[in-house]
This record gives sequence, structure tokens and C-alpha cells, in this order.
Amino acid sequence: MDRNQIMKWLKAPAKMSNKYSLHAIYFCTGCGIIEVPPVITARWDAERFGVIPVATPRQANLFLITGYVSVKTLRAIIRTYEQMYEPKYTVGFGSCPINGGMYWDSYNTIKHLDKYIPIDGWIAGCMPRPEAIFIAVVHLWTLIDKEKANGYIRYRENYKSYRRNQELALGKLEWPPLYPINSSS
Amino acid sequence: MVIKVIQIIISPVLALIVGVLFLGLARKIMARFHWRYGPPLIQPVIDMIRLFYQKSVSHGSMFDLGIILSLAGSIVVVLFLPFGKICPLSSSGGLLVILYIMLIAPLSLALSGGQGANPNISIGISRKLILSLGYEVPLLLVLLSVMTHYKTISIVAVVNAQQSTDWALISFPLFLSGISYFLILPAILGIRPFDVSSAPQEISSGLMVEYGGKYLALATIEHAFVLFINVALFVNLFLGGAANPITFFVKMLVVFVLGLFVNAVFPRFRIEQAIKYLWKWPTLLAFLGLIMTLIVRR
Repeated sequence: MDRNQIMKWLKAPAKMSNKYSLHAIYFCTGCGIIEVPPVITARWDAERFGVIPVATPRQANLFLITGYVSVKTLRAIIRTYEQMYEPKYTVGFGSCPINGGMYWDSYNTIKHLDKYIPIDGWIAGCMPRPEAIFIAVVHLWTLIDKEKANGYIRYRENYKSYRRNQELALGKLEWPPLYPINSSS
Repeated sequence: MVIKVIQIIISPVLALIVGVLFLGLARKIMARFHWRYGPPLIQPVIDMIRLFYQKSVSHGSMFDLGIILSLAGSIVVVLFLPFGKICPLSSSGGLLVILYIMLIAPLSLALSGGQGANPNISIGISRKLILSLGYEVPLLLVLLSVMTHYKTISIVAVVNAQQSTDWALISFPLFLSGISYFLILPAILGIRPFDVSSAPQEISSGLMVEYGGKYLALATIEHAFVLFINVALFVNLFLGGAANPITFFVKMLVVFVLGLFVNAVFPRFRIEQAIKYLWKWPTLLAFLGLIMTLIVRR
């Protein structure tokens, strides 16, 4: 922490503490998770920036989606995302969650992840290097500063359409809606 | 009277600051062991500010009350512990009172966790209670030999007796008990060889699995208090307390960093290996210490 940040801390403690304590949840989809162990261990030390992995969605506020998303995984992703407490940030890692990547014509994967849950930022590449995670974290800091990392707000406002997309992909969902869906709007 | 009130207010605050700094120091030192740079020293404070600002969901009234009850239990234990010359309530209590009240914190944390109906919590609670069954036996033997050796149950009298003669850790029959206490210290603190109840990779951090937001922040504070209490008890009983708080905290730092060395190099025991270890070597040493104390004092 720099000394010239003290005024920022006093002005907006919630924003600053969200920036410097990003707890990422252990959630492995696809092959991108292989880049995370080097990031949190001795070579690229993510704990310098306050980024550590935690075991449960209740304690986490950063959701890294690392690799392709099959239909079966999407169910777990939505449930995990809805269990996290606000404010929460999502980052899609690799080209597969962006547009399907090399699985673009697979019958069993999701092409565009941001139809189903809101994404705050993308890391493109197949595979991205571990440094790309740090670039993403620093970029997420600027987004939080400008209040543009508002995925959880977009999810709340447009929950009806997100829920409709989820039902289109998964069939009937066995959990109740997270936010009330009023039929008029 | 006024001084006593000020001491009652100031000693939990001091304990909280020291405990949270210890949590940060633990992360920094563990990072250095891994050849990493590590987080800033105040990273737990940053995490706690973030957690207090997050939204959170309660799982029932016991979920709220249990965590507050455990925090209250820990604060009361801190009041009974002398550190330096600050000993607000320690003249009225003793080791027996501390032994009783120390049980409140883990039990009410288990009560609170039980409300969040998650199977990982049940596993975590059962492991924690089995582990406490493991370390309570040597702990009771150690405290019994200390009380027998100094012929008092007052912890202030124990500290004063050590300051007039030698530390208990280097006096003849009691060094066995001191070694035994140090061997079970990782189990009491729940650090690495004995972190079965909060294993993140096996049971999703066990008892803490449903805690988030301000509940997790309160649980972190409670953890800091537990850290402070157990290390401070070791310093009081075996390292002769201290004349002023600064010396006391330096002694606590030495004990805690030695505990972290154990934490850094050992993998995790399974629960039955932990019980087998705890009931073998520390219990044997503590029992030997008790018998030697009885023979010497005769």
C-alpha cells in the first residue's frame, strides 16, 4: 500500500478493499486451470496483490472461468455464481468461454458464456500465459475504480433474460429464481 | 478502580491488534518459506474491511448468536490472562477459570456452524471435537503439574514465582511439561500438522464453509483471539510472563514463529494419526512431568 493511497482509502474504503482483497474460488472448468497453480505459487506470486484461492463460494468474490464450459458445467457455474455474496466479479479466461474457441461446433459446449452469467472481463488466448491473469487483475482494478465492473448489478437488473437463456440451455431449472421475476417488465 | 476499568477496556483491544498482526505475519512468513514475496502485513485487515462491506445471508438465529457468543467467550478469557503488568481480572480467577471459559469459544462456534446445514460443517465439527479430545488430556496434565509445582492456581502467582527464580521451561521437572505444551500447541491453534478441521482441499474449509461477509470477518477476529490466548498462556506459564507488555509480545512472537516453522514443513495428519500422536508423545511427556513434579515436591 502506497502512502498516497491513504486519501483514497479514507474516501472509499469499500471500493479499495474490494480491489486489494480478491478471493478467487477454486472452480476448474476445462484446461485453463493448469495456468492457475503457477500463478498462486512461487514463480508468479498472486498473493502480493491479495489474490488467493478460497474453497467455498461464500468467501469468494472473484470467479475465474478457466476454459470451455460444457452444458453440465454451466449448471454448476450458475449455482456457484448465485451463491457468492455481492459485490462479485467474473473473469472469463481463454477463448472458449468468449465464443466457443476450438469447440465452436461442439454439440455439448456453451458458445457465449455472457448470455448465461454476466462477465466483467475477458482474457483472450489459447492458452493465455499466467501473466495475463495479472493483467486481468490490474484491469479489473481500474474497472472497479470507474465502477464499470458492475456484472452483479447487470445480473440483478436483467435477471429475467438471463434466466430465460439459462432455461433454454439447460431445460427446466430445479432451483428457484435468485431475484423475483415480475411478469410485467 | 479507574485504572482497572481502563485495563478491562484496553486489554481486549491490545489482544485483537496483536492477534490480527500475527495472522498477517503468518501469511508473510509462510510466503517467505515458499520463496514468494507475500502479501502486505495488513492483508487480514484489508480482507476484513472487504468482508464487512459485503452483503451476507444469515442461516438462522443461532448462526448469528453463536459467533457473537464465541467472541464474548474469547474476550472474557483475555481479561483473565495477565500480560505484562496488565492483569484486569486475573486476581479473582485462576487457571481453573481459564480452563472452563476456554471451552465456550469452540463449542459456540460449533453451535453456530451447525445451523448452516452443510455436510462439510458436520465433518468439520466432529473432527474439531475429536481433535480437542486429543489435546485436552496432555493439556490438563501440563496445567496440573504447573499448579502442583507452584502450589497455587493463580496465574499471577505463577508468573511472580517465575520472575523471582527461573523460567519454568528451564527449571528441572517442569521442562518436560513445557515441551509437551509446545508439542500440542499446533493442535490447539489448528495449524498445519493438525488443520484437519479446517482443511480447504478436503472438506472445503470445514466449519467455515457457510461463513461469508461479516460472519467470516467475525470468525477471523475470533481466530485472532484464539491465537493470542493460547500463545499468551504458554508465555505466562513457561516463559515467566514479562514485566511490561512489549517484552511479553516479543516472547509471544518467538513462540509463534517457532510454531510457524512447524506449520511450514509438515503435511497434514489424518484425524486418527493426529489422535495417535497426541495421546502418545505429548501425553507421555506430560505424565512423566507430573510424576517428577510430585516426587520433587515431596
